[in-house]
Amino acid sequence: MFEWLENTSVALWVGESLWAYPFMLSMHVIGLAIVVGILSMLDLRLLGSFKGIRTAAFLPLIRFAWIGFGINAVSGVFLFTSQATTFVSSTTFLIKLGCIFIGAILTKVLQNKLQETGADDSADGSLKGLAVVSLLLWLVAITAGRLTAYI
Amino acid sequence: MEAFAQSIEGGVVYTWVTSVYWLWPLMETIHFIGLSLLLGGLIVIDARLAGFFRGVNIAATHKLLPWVFIGFGLNLTTGVLFFFGDPLRYAVNIGFQIKMVLVMIAGLNALWFWIKINPVMQSWEPDIDPPGVAKLIAWISLVSWTGVLLFGRLIPYVGTG
Repeated sequence: MFEWLENTSVALWVGESLWAYPFMLSMHVIGLAIVVGILSMLDLRLLGSFKGIRTAAFLPLIRFAWIGFGINAVSGVFLFTSQATTFVSSTTFLIKLGCIFIGAILTKVLQNKLQETGADDSADGSLKGLAVVSLLLWLVAITAGRLTAYI
Repeated sequence: MEAFAQSIEGGVVYTWVTSVYWLWPLMETIHFIGLSLLLGGLIVIDARLAGFFRGVNIAATHKLLPWVFIGFGLNLTTGVLFFFGDPLRYAVNIGFQIKMVLVMIAGLNALWFWIKINPVMQSWEPDIDPPGVAKLIAWISLVSWTGVLLFGRLIPYVGTG
């Protein structure tokens, strides 16, 4: 299946075009900055930093983070196709995907909880554990993603 | 620039960076974490300064600045080490050169903010729609930093300047 994917016209375009691969990589790093940037700020807020900002204020920012997530899902699929067989057999890549999958679910959970509590910041203490897990997941995802190029 | 790059090769830092095999991937990972902190903080600060997310207290967004500086510090440190580890490649790379110009533009823009906006910000209402000059500064910041990411990522794929 992955060999078939590697030989589709899209995969060949990404792999052979002079600009497709670097362009997708550039989109991927911009999406990364949006997703991890915003979510790490949310996590730090939940852990007690910059209390002047209400946690509910992060709700529109989380929606923006999902846009970044979309950018990376699309650019990620393009990048994946060009070397599908290599990626599926790479442990670090699978760790990265796992972290992103759990991280996305966790983000949805946090988003729902913030929507429920609304402007009531006093309820946020219970979210500290989730914030720590979220930070760790993105940290591991970045590390594993970078190491995929080496291992 | 090339003469400077040549003088680095053979130096202590060059030897260290190139001889420890796990250092480069580790520094790349830190560079990515740093850019997330830098951009993450700035997206919140600049988006609010550009007039979005009016419900967020504008002065409070600037409490994120220490994280922006931590991100910048991490990336300045790892960035300098990257340069010292492969000076001849970076010095002549058009992607790197454009990236550095954009970092300088972003820096001057931050200085402009510091001189022009920071002193008057204290008197702003929390839900203010910022004046035009503040919005311009916010957009210059967002565009230049996005460009920094873009050209940074292109460094391995573009040639000499």
